[in-house]
Amino acid sequence: MDRAFQRTRILTNHLLLSSPAQTACLTSNDCFNYSPPELSEKYAFDVNEMRKLMDGHDVEERDRLFGLIIQSKLFNPRVRGGKVFVLPDYNQSMEQQREMTWKRIEYLLERGVFKGWMTGEGEDVEMKRFACFEVLGLFDHSISIKLGVHFFLWGGAIQFFGTKHHHDKWLRDTENFKVKGCFSMTELGHGSNVRGIETVTTYDSKTGEFVINTPCESAQKFWIGGAAKHATHTIVFSQLNINGINEGVHALIAQIRDADGNVCPNIRIADCGHKIGLNGVDNGRIWFDNVRVPRENLLNSVADVSPDGKYLSSIKDPDQRFAAFLSPLTAGRVNIAVNAVYQSKVGLSIAIRYALTRRAFSLKPNEPEVLLLDYPSHQRRLLPLLAKIYAMSFGANYLKMLYVKRTPQSNKTIHVVSSSFKATFTWSNMQILQECREACGGQGLKTENRVGHLKAEHDVQSTFEGDNNILMQQVSKALFAEYVMAQKRNKVFKGLGLEHMIKPCPVIPSQLTSTTLRCSQFQMDALCLRERELLNRFVADVSQCLAKGESKEQAFNMSYQVAEDLGKAFSDRAIFLTFIEAEATLAAGSLKDVLGKVRSLYALDCLEDIAYLRYGCLSVENAAAVRKEITKLCSEVRPHALALVSSLGIPDAFLSPIAFNWVDANSWSSVQH
Amino acid sequence: MASSVSSQHDEVLVEEKSFARILTLNRPKQLNALSSQMISRLLELFLANEDDPNVKLVILKGKGRAFCAGGDVAAVVHDIRAGGWRAGANFFMKEFTLNYLMATYSKLQVSILNGIVMGGGNGASMHGRFRVATENSLFAMPETALGLFPDVGASYFLSRLPGFFGEYLCLTGARLDGAEMLACGLATHFVQSAKLPALEAALCAADSSDTVIISSIIGQYSEQPSLKEQSVYNRLDVIDRCFSQKTVEDILSALENEAVNRRDGWISTTIQTLKKASPTSLKISLRSIRAGRLQGVGPCLIREYRMVCHVMRGEFSKDFFEGCRAILLDKDKNPKWEPSKLELITDTTVDIYFSKVKNEDWEDLKLPARSKFNLPPYVIAKL
Repeated sequence: MDRAFQRTRILTNHLLLSSPAQTACLTSNDCFNYSPPELSEKYAFDVNEMRKLMDGHDVEERDRLFGLIIQSKLFNPRVRGGKVFVLPDYNQSMEQQREMTWKRIEYLLERGVFKGWMTGEGEDVEMKRFACFEVLGLFDHSISIKLGVHFFLWGGAIQFFGTKHHHDKWLRDTENFKVKGCFSMTELGHGSNVRGIETVTTYDSKTGEFVINTPCESAQKFWIGGAAKHATHTIVFSQLNINGINEGVHALIAQIRDADGNVCPNIRIADCGHKIGLNGVDNGRIWFDNVRVPRENLLNSVADVSPDGKYLSSIKDPDQRFAAFLSPLTAGRVNIAVNAVYQSKVGLSIAIRYALTRRAFSLKPNEPEVLLLDYPSHQRRLLPLLAKIYAMSFGANYLKMLYVKRTPQSNKTIHVVSSSFKATFTWSNMQILQECREACGGQGLKTENRVGHLKAEHDVQSTFEGDNNILMQQVSKALFAEYVMAQKRNKVFKGLGLEHMIKPCPVIPSQLTSTTLRCSQFQMDALCLRERELLNRFVADVSQCLAKGESKEQAFNMSYQVAEDLGKAFSDRAIFLTFIEAEATLAAGSLKDVLGKVRSLYALDCLEDIAYLRYGCLSVENAAAVRKEITKLCSEVRPHALALVSSLGIPDAFLSPIAFNWVDANSWSSVQH
Repeated sequence: MASSVSSQHDEVLVEEKSFARILTLNRPKQLNALSSQMISRLLELFLANEDDPNVKLVILKGKGRAFCAGGDVAAVVHDIRAGGWRAGANFFMKEFTLNYLMATYSKLQVSILNGIVMGGGNGASMHGRFRVATENSLFAMPETALGLFPDVGASYFLSRLPGFFGEYLCLTGARLDGAEMLACGLATHFVQSAKLPALEAALCAADSSDTVIISSIIGQYSEQPSLKEQSVYNRLDVIDRCFSQKTVEDILSALENEAVNRRDGWISTTIQTLKKASPTSLKISLRSIRAGRLQGVGPCLIREYRMVCHVMRGEFSKDFFEGCRAILLDKDKNPKWEPSKLELITDTTVDIYFSKVKNEDWEDLKLPARSKFNLPPYVIAKL
């Protein structure tokens, strides 16, 4: 009886509610209207100029590539709220995503996008290639990784480790995708410690062939991008054993599939399966069962084996030989670092645009609700991150230039800077995307809104091409070596920006005024002070361990806490320097003024790092003054928020529905389409 | 019910019919080319109608065999000769302001494109919500043949056509008929011209500013015309392959490659057209449409205004004046372009057209404020 009564009541309610008299209250006037920020926010500077400064190079090339993507059905364009958005359909199966990634690459190939990528030379070619990767990475991480493996790892290995006959034989075919390359370095048992890999290659002088073998399960190649489905060839890293002597890790070319896609004899391939991201990349595992390859397939720029089986190398020191083999990974690392910055740009553009249109809570009853970005707390969450991404953009541009202008002398600097920036940018990216996701509330969880999904897609960046923690340890070790060298030879520090170490120690005023806090010289002093303090401390800690009789390796291991803080201090200071340099190129004007505020916000945000208090670089009172100034700067940057995110240069189609008219994008009429 | 409030001599005729206003471009001898006075008058009328709560719909049409053949460029050139490039800049400033107002109009604009619609005529119609083509429609953006570039917001609306059809229209100035306009999206409807009086009457009787309702009213008079067999719209694959190339030179060589593979009159005509156009115009037009694809309609017009000021100033190239001489004044159809070849125009030169004009008291185009109006979603999406 009760149930029948309840049922009647529900039906009655239902009928009453659906009567016209009841719905009349739902007029549009009572509803939340989307108000486009373009009409209310002012641009105090030329966003095109700012964008040029941020992107740094090849703006026209980028725009053409954006256009190629937006105009093709292959890139899954969807209309939401009257605007077109391009985004892979991540609801497709792993197999479908991989096929789509491949079709998109073929489309770009037909349009000549990769022209000159392998066969061209010079700084311009390399910079243009970086620009294209940045653009493609904005569409989808999978396409950029798939291309990165083929061009930077496979192609790069041939360029760097190979000699003329390798270049002649492989580079053009690589550019045209006649061969599809992959890069077999990582094994199940060995990742960052490449020197420990277990795959073995021997030489058979009777046939003039190398024989590659996977001796045990932990030696199977793992995570090899492209191996599971598409790749026809691979670079194999293995221990080269000549006449019973292990000559260390060397690289060879091996074919793994024929032109029809059938796996070659003595090769076994398995799929790595579904992943938390990058499902458009066919990662695979490879076992080599005494695979024979011709002698010419050894990439012999560093070392060679003569036809009769003698090992020959111009570099006698195995450590140096090994270091030479890792150099092409630098290009990949630069790419990852820069790509991470662009992902953060997407997240911040979306979250800040949303915060400029979404309201929540009124200050008083019957008043309009407050825009999210007008809450000081919301400003504090997003605007320092925006400042950080401005700083990192300049850092990324510097890193790219450093790479393309590389010389044998600059190798060490490139290694240290690329390692520290890669770690810093990719870690920051995860932090920024998480903050942006939360700042978008529930909407941040929808895949179509990108921010949340980007986290999963880019999580891997802190691991591949060098685990971030290990990279940062290497940075600290390099700084340590620099310090020891300078002391031993009683010489000045050169390179790596450590020159400040021999200058008088900067003094932080006991009373920090707003003017001082915004002064770039003070900001630089404060950043140098922390680096100096930490480097001195790190050297002292390591020396103390050594004095106790520990090995050098163990001494570094024991000093990991200071090492981590030091790596961060180095990065922050190096990034800040690139900001100052970019700012110095500008003529006085509104653009420079706004950028100055952004720079101060970045610097002061760095000074909020706990290391300042931990190591006594700032007094508690000074730290409070920094904190207060950040709030003030946030409110001063707030009016420029839209102009600053527009200057990031991400086209609307690469953002998401919540960045624009999210009311219309979610309207009932949009459901019916 | 109908009341006429304008004289036969006015360049824009105004009819008030219930909640609709019919504006007729009335310079039939000049194919309704937009004079400075007409643009001022249209601005005035559109602004007044937007504020007038009794107006729900604005119908724009042309008298005679043209909707509108473009801006009155001959007059602009005359003014520049008399009063310097700023006279020309002022004309375009006003025209682009009108284009922006139409693009962001809070009320519905229905343009009846029963005849020629070219250049500035597209600026006066394509930004509105509804564009009705007929069997008499003839579309083109022929600016590259004139030493100019597709302006009036064309870098916004052409760049959003399917694939690289926009690049094709923008560079070649190719003509489309009504069926093709509908197929590519330049027109929203196709109505036989015989039905236009009935359509107009129905629109005037509508008493509605609802997009769906007005669309369905026009829909009742519309039909789905079939494309002619030789239609360029059936060649989208070739157009996509060639016009997606990076530079004008690359586009030309892609077309030449296609021509090698098959004998096709259309391809050779296209190549010839490109070779006859101003090389400077081609380069700046291509850059403009590609930038425009990624920008809202406001920034597109601001950029085009910069470009047109550089063209008027003629610092780098005076092709605009040469084009007007050869096509509009002397009519020898034999312009001598300078620089004469594509390879003589570097990227850095093209950059200049996109930079601010270095001239005291010159300012970027100031777009009229639109925040007080309750803009419909299809407008918001264009910002």
